Amino acid sequence: MTAPMVNLTIEGRAVAVPAGTTILEAAKVAGVLVPHYCYHPGLPVAGVCRMCLVEVEKMPKLAPSCATTVGEGQVVHVYSEKALEARKGVLELLLINHPLDCPICDQSGECELQDYTFAEGRADSRYREPKRFNPVEDFGGDVMYVPNRCILCTRCVRFMDDLAHDEALCVQERGDRASIGKATEKDLTHPWAANVVDLCPVGALLSKDFLNKARAWELDRTASVCPNCAQGCNTIVETRDNVVMRFKPRTNTEVNQYFLCDEGRLDYRWLNRADRATQPMIDGVLADWEEAIHAAARLAKGATVRLVANASLSNEALYLLKRAFGPGVITVRTGAEAPLPGASDLALRADRAANATGAEWMGYRRVSAPLEGLGAGDVLVIADHDLTGVSAEAVSRAKAVIVIGTQVPAAVTAPNVVLPIANMAEEEGTFTNLRGRVQRFLQAKAAPGMARPSWFVLADLATQLGQPAVHFTAGAVFDALAKAEGAFAGLSYDTVALKGKLAAGATAGARA
Amino acid sequence: MILPTPMLLQVADPTVAASTGVFLIATVVKMLAIFTLYMVGVAYTTLAERKISAWIQDRHGPNRVGPWGLLQVAADGVKNIMKEETFPGDVYKPLFLIAPALAFVPAMITWAVIPFAAPWGSPWGRIDMVVADLPIGFLFTLAISSLGVYGITLAGWSSNNKYALLGGLRASAQMISYEIAMGMSTVAVLLLSGNVHMSQIIDQQVATNWNVILLSVAFLLFLVSSFAETNRVPFDLPEAESELIAGYHSEYSAMKFSMFPIAEYANIITASGLMITLFFGGWDIPFTSWDNVGPHTGLKSAITFAFFLLKVVAFVFFFIWIRWTLPRFRYDQLMALGWKIMLPIALLYIVVIASAILALDATGLSRGTVAYQGALFAVNLVLLVLIVFVLDRGRLISPAYSRLERERVARLRLMAQQSDLATSRES
Amino acid sequence: MAINVKVLDRPIADTSYLRATVKGMALTLKHLVDPHKVTVQYPEEKWTLSPRWRGTHRMLTTEDGTAKCVACGLCPTVCPANCIKLVPGEDEEGNRYPLVFEIDEFRCIFCGYCQEVCPEEAIHVGRHYENAEYSRDGFVYDLERLTAQTHPVCEMWDPADPKGE
Repeated sequence: MTAPMVNLTIEGRAVAVPAGTTILEAAKVAGVLVPHYCYHPGLPVAGVCRMCLVEVEKMPKLAPSCATTVGEGQVVHVYSEKALEARKGVLELLLINHPLDCPICDQSGECELQDYTFAEGRADSRYREPKRFNPVEDFGGDVMYVPNRCILCTRCVRFMDDLAHDEALCVQERGDRASIGKATEKDLTHPWAANVVDLCPVGALLSKDFLNKARAWELDRTASVCPNCAQGCNTIVETRDNVVMRFKPRTNTEVNQYFLCDEGRLDYRWLNRADRATQPMIDGVLADWEEAIHAAARLAKGATVRLVANASLSNEALYLLKRAFGPGVITVRTGAEAPLPGASDLALRADRAANATGAEWMGYRRVSAPLEGLGAGDVLVIADHDLTGVSAEAVSRAKAVIVIGTQVPAAVTAPNVVLPIANMAEEEGTFTNLRGRVQRFLQAKAAPGMARPSWFVLADLATQLGQPAVHFTAGAVFDALAKAEGAFAGLSYDTVALKGKLAAGATAGARA
Repeated sequence: MILPTPMLLQVADPTVAASTGVFLIATVVKMLAIFTLYMVGVAYTTLAERKISAWIQDRHGPNRVGPWGLLQVAADGVKNIMKEETFPGDVYKPLFLIAPALAFVPAMITWAVIPFAAPWGSPWGRIDMVVADLPIGFLFTLAISSLGVYGITLAGWSSNNKYALLGGLRASAQMISYEIAMGMSTVAVLLLSGNVHMSQIIDQQVATNWNVILLSVAFLLFLVSSFAETNRVPFDLPEAESELIAGYHSEYSAMKFSMFPIAEYANIITASGLMITLFFGGWDIPFTSWDNVGPHTGLKSAITFAFFLLKVVAFVFFFIWIRWTLPRFRYDQLMALGWKIMLPIALLYIVVIASAILALDATGLSRGTVAYQGALFAVNLVLLVLIVFVLDRGRLISPAYSRLERERVARLRLMAQQSDLATSRES
Repeated sequence: MAINVKVLDRPIADTSYLRATVKGMALTLKHLVDPHKVTVQYPEEKWTLSPRWRGTHRMLTTEDGTAKCVACGLCPTVCPANCIKLVPGEDEEGNRYPLVFEIDEFRCIFCGYCQEVCPEEAIHVGRHYENAEYSRDGFVYDLERLTAQTHPVCEMWDPADPKGE
């Protein structure tokens, strides 16, 4: 099964890689990044940019490292004079028509042309003629095309053809007039089309949503997980001044490869909502945390509790809720499933909730009418659930309402206790995706007002309700969860790490 | 032994003093004139201070109000009157209010006994050009000038501020210390003139020579003490701004504050007047004698007065010049100088000069002769040389730098040599 | 146990207070009579500023009077005092321009990096020093103020001596 290993030397470093590996990938193993534009590990090799030329001893010509597989005993020079000279030439030609508008280009700061030109290009241009000019084009969806900046690497074309299986893009015209064009009557409306923006090494394809909003270097990047469906794509949450500016896909070959669907990437604004619950309250009066927790505990103690939980709460929060009140009910919003056909098991899932799997493993019931059968003397506990479709009269049947959430739902007119918690970008935690993969997300921004992380609030509340849960970190809560719930057995934050890990529940087929 | 008191001065009719009525009118006129002139002088001394300090520091000084900034004093006065009066919490108001006046008044009163011009033999009888020609004039000045310390000390004490209090305490200790040296230094003058009547002291200097020649050491002591008495640099420890904010007047504002600088400049002028009277022949014009003999016309009085003013201006300039040259003493240096240097020298000087006068008188030489004066000057010269070249070797101001502490230096050097880690080694 | 004793052993002439005083007075007198004065009579006379003087900012404009700034964000990035507030925006034609551009001149340390980094030669530090205002708010210069100023701007280096030698 395993391919035979091939030994070669790259920049003086001996490496052994499986046969069939390209020199470019082998160089990554050796810790050398060969500059490249058209090559992308998630796309078929095209070999059109000639940027990845390296010198291989005993080869008469420079080799495109993205398309050349390794051979036994090869000696590769990435930074030899010849290779540098060749790449310098490639860069000069690329810059003939590339405008020097970095100051107004959104890609500036994360632009591969900028980086490689700075590293290996000429300091000035010898080209004196006027540059080619084409107007900006709207490609539909979230994508905008600036043809002047395009270096025709065709990553976008290959993505649409080979991953999305939607031949919407092509190279039109030839020679110096060439540019990327839309197929007739087509728009980039494929649910995964916005990935071409990430794939574009320069500022030719831009996100309309992010246009002119921030500079790349102003953003703080935090490893996270997309909370918008059950796929659990790995993401980078990019924030500036405590505001989430955009989601970017984070490479995880087990889950989402290099991609993120349009719906997931554009649905981040709710993380920045200003109308948040920021203060603990008792009967509409501001209270301090201790009082509010005590008040909630007094209401819930001994009463019949109906717990309505958000299926996008973290495993930790759901576990502590279960300890405090017993497993409750969840509702899961559904939508059309939208796969990325070129990638295996990757789709925008029908379940538009991040953690339905984890909730169900812990015994939460998936229902469509969360308040059905609510008794008159019951205490209603709403855990970050928005109660969409529930009427105020239905809620008012409850004896008391405890809201533990980022907001007070509109249907709850007079909550008895409000315990404000952080949203997923403001706390640490884990989600379990639909394949049973437990994945961590980290805190990207600060919570507003006095809101606390959900596990913090719920640990206090569970303790007050006679379920001692004294935890000081999210990791400690997860450890307790792993001990208590068989489906999560053996996991910890260290083993889950940033790429996630399949839980015991997944292999045992415990999925409900 | 009755010392001869030459009476070169002649008045229009020395036997006829002015009648009581004339005396009263003349006195009132003199008082008004002198007070006005004095206050204007004080005001312009403040301007002079600012101008001279500016020039010394290569600046221009005030030059915006009026031509060459001459109206600056008026602007300052208006400003000070219009400023807000502040009373810090828990000040003792009666003293807080009276202290500025107490500081200023003695300087002004002293001026009453200083003769400022040759007497005028007017048609209505002789009019002395002094506000009050007290027979005990000099004793009066000593008595009054020691009152000046009350203003400063009480200002400091009543301000309810530790810095002000420290300033006030420093002032009292300093003034008492230097008053002794000052008083002792003038004993020599009294020995020579045989009188405490200011006019008579001037007469004596006219008859012989200026006391600055005959009693140079006394002048030096008096000069230094004057600086200390007026709280001028290098003796301005009561207000030492680098350590006491503004010293005794930290808590004062507006015109009450302004009274302290006024008092200081008044004191400078008064001290100048005293030094001129005691050591520089008062209104006497040097190298001529026409001013000293009759008939005493009004013109002569005017010219001698002008000369007197010139001398005052010169001294005021000297005070200012010193201020913008020297740094302030440390308090221990100030005390050491006062008690360990000035007082012993003053006492010794009394003995020396009394012996010299006695000896010279015994030889039968007339005081007016060059030989007599030369001998007295020679004695002073020897003493001055001793002071400058023998005594003034660091010990005078700072023991730390003393050449005379050779032994101590040697001891320290020995310690340094014995130490392995000594840093100060000579090759 | 070593003691660091610095033995002061000065020449006699230096330790004599009276002689030192006379020397000092001679010096001050020399300055007193010296007609050369260093004071600049300010409102009438003004300094000639160095071409490299770095004062409060000015935003240069294009011929049509709009700021040259394209809101690239380099100046707030390079600013060591964090005194530039920039919010980029987009005009009707899709051009990037600064929606908000404010410089807090109180925070500014006048290093001139903003001018050096500006790719559009828009923001400049000025050759100018009369900045008085009646309120603190006046020292937060907005875009309007920055473009309205007319004082000359810093050259950053002397053209005759570009290396500053």
